[in-house]
Amino acid sequence: MPSQIVSLVVNGEPREFIAAPGMTLLAGLRESLGLTAAKRGCGQGTCGSCTVLVEGQARAACLVAVETVAGLSVSTLEGVATGGELDAVQSSFVDNFATQCGFCTAGMIMVTEALLDRDPDPSEEDVAEAISGNVCRCTGYQPIVIAILDAARRRREERASR
Amino acid sequence: MAIHAVHVPESAEAAVALAGRGAWVMGGGTVVMPLVTSGAATATELVSLSKAGLSGIEVRDGTVRIGAAATLTAVGEHPRLAFLRPALRTIASPTIRNQATLGGNLFVAQPYGDLAVCLLALGATCEIAGPGGRRDAPVAEVLASGVTGGEVVVAVLAPLPEPGTWYYRKAMRRRLNSASIVTVASVTRTAGGVVTSSGIALGGVAPRPVRAVSAERLLLGRPLTPEVLTEAGEAARADTAPADDAYASAWYRTRVLPVHLRRAFLG
Repeated sequence: MPSQIVSLVVNGEPREFIAAPGMTLLAGLRESLGLTAAKRGCGQGTCGSCTVLVEGQARAACLVAVETVAGLSVSTLEGVATGGELDAVQSSFVDNFATQCGFCTAGMIMVTEALLDRDPDPSEEDVAEAISGNVCRCTGYQPIVIAILDAARRRREERASR
Repeated sequence: MAIHAVHVPESAEAAVALAGRGAWVMGGGTVVMPLVTSGAATATELVSLSKAGLSGIEVRDGTVRIGAAATLTAVGEHPRLAFLRPALRTIASPTIRNQATLGGNLFVAQPYGDLAVCLLALGATCEIAGPGGRRDAPVAEVLASGVTGGEVVVAVLAPLPEPGTWYYRKAMRRRLNSASIVTVASVTRTAGGVVTSSGIALGGVAPRPVRAVSAERLLLGRPLTPEVLTEAGEAARADTAPADDAYASAWYRTRVLPVHLRRAFLG
């Protein structure tokens, strides 16, 4: 079967690209659509640096064949900030020094977005579980856990003041 | 080998037809896709079960029927399958569990597979669709020898354990996202203080999950005391063939098996 056109809704916008059979969602995002926030780390679903949301659920984009998500909605880090303004999770990562080299950050932020959409008030244990598939080799994780708990608080306050 | 086509059929029948042509059956892709990406896949076509209508979970008359394409996340979220949550929670990460499927879990040739260990303890049955129609096979048989070419596991049926009869314990290096050193799952019934029936499955201690038949036999008619359970755990060594890996040595697994079997029952 030759390459085919795959249609996705990426960060709210309908997008199309040509995909060779078995192309990963990660390759589609990075190479065809130029969305390079999701990183290729291990290519085996072990490091979490390629995490994106498919229909709001965290997924390792390196393990997804694009054919299996045709027509579905995909969210990447590029779509998180609205109008050039960082969202609560992003600004919390900045303020809490939760990013050093930055390679894991896109994945960490996307699992956090999925976690907080599901559970606005997670415990530290819930946070540890949510990021248990995301490897960080710089921070020792503690600043990331603090940033996620802080982001949850910021989000709850934003909601309450609205 | 380069992949020539990824099929996403909308029925189990279409998936079986494609599997019959030699396409690799793919659940969530957590095992198949790394092979595809690295060029190590030995098939040129894949058939994904993601849209084949095989994701349902239904409970009827005390038996659960879980579609092969149900994700581990979906299994854990089902209210009647709450007893499986401790097992599911330590399998990989939530991100991977959003993708990994029940059916795929049965076909990963490794010693761990905690969900498969649970299904083995429950005495589950696989519903298999093939070119010649449908057949049922014990999950033990599918774990030991797989299915024949062109066949697809479409669902797993398992009797739900009665309250107070389910036991589970996993020893691992970390509390989350960690492969098993020893996993113990059991459905054991007692009456008048003694065991009347017992199914025990072990993970991490053989190339594939295994039944601890020697321990099951030893428990019959006896009380679940520390002494009896230690004896059963020692007997269970006869049912294992542990290997060294990055997490523990074969020697260590053999050594601690009775400890974790006892803890599965008594905490």
